[in-house]
Amino acid sequence: MQLDNGASLQSEINVTPLVDVVLVLLIIFMVVVPLLLEGYDVGMPKASDAPGPPPAEESQLVLSIGPTSCPVLVRPAGGGLPADCHVALADRLIPVADLPARMAEHLGGRPVDQHVLFVAADDRMNYEVILRIVDLARSGVDDVRIEFLTAD
Amino acid sequence: MQLGEPGRMQAAINITPLVDVVLVLLIIFMVMAPQMMRKGPDVALPETTKPREQGDERSRILVSIDGDGGLWIDEQAVESERFAESLRAAVGDEPDPKVVIRGDSRLHFREIRQAMLAVEQAGFHGVGLIARRAGAGGD
Repeated sequence: MQLDNGASLQSEINVTPLVDVVLVLLIIFMVVVPLLLEGYDVGMPKASDAPGPPPAEESQLVLSIGPTSCPVLVRPAGGGLPADCHVALADRLIPVADLPARMAEHLGGRPVDQHVLFVAADDRMNYEVILRIVDLARSGVDDVRIEFLTAD
Repeated sequence: MQLGEPGRMQAAINITPLVDVVLVLLIIFMVMAPQMMRKGPDVALPETTKPREQGDERSRILVSIDGDGGLWIDEQAVESERFAESLRAAVGDEPDPKVVIRGDSRLHFREIRQAMLAVEQAGFHGVGLIARRAGAGGD
């Protein structure tokens, strides 16, 4: 830097502090993002000493997942669900791939506060399969509340 | 700083870059510290396509169920008989405690259901079931 002639000014913007700040922000976000959790808000089964689940009324949509129609008892390899997996939505057995469309059919016309899906899942089912089916069911309709019914 | 006389040299060391680097290191370690104390056991989370945001794990009470069905609250393994008690202890005086369940994907639904039941019996309504976005990296 030559300051011999006083009239000459520094003409370039100094970007070093800007780069510093950006790098720090980058590092912070890289580290914080893995700490965020993702998942599903669900209601819980009634305590076993409480009276059983309320009877499924006409307006209540019940999704039953059992090992006879969806025989996945151990974690399936890879993603997705087997094509032969069927679930019972409102007492009708449907292929699991149809679930988003059927959910939209059942709940689409209702106000959002009635978007409730009761899930009756068999104890022997693999947990990941249950979550994948719930995920599929939720993808059909906005803001579905999930309530798990007790099996016993 | 007067540079009018060309013969004179700058005598003070410029410490600005040093301070920059030190501050960056400080911030990195502040942020990394909780990461190193990551809560709970290793759990192979179930993978789904569209899980929803469940917040920062540091603001949640983490109930983990490992591959053998063992229960953990935050980083502590607990007996199932003492679960409710330990859960209340973990809540302490937090104003708005939220419980999430990290269940291993190899488990059967029974273990998850029993854990949800126990969480409800401890007085909570609603729980988050933690999943991992399919295709995402990390643990």
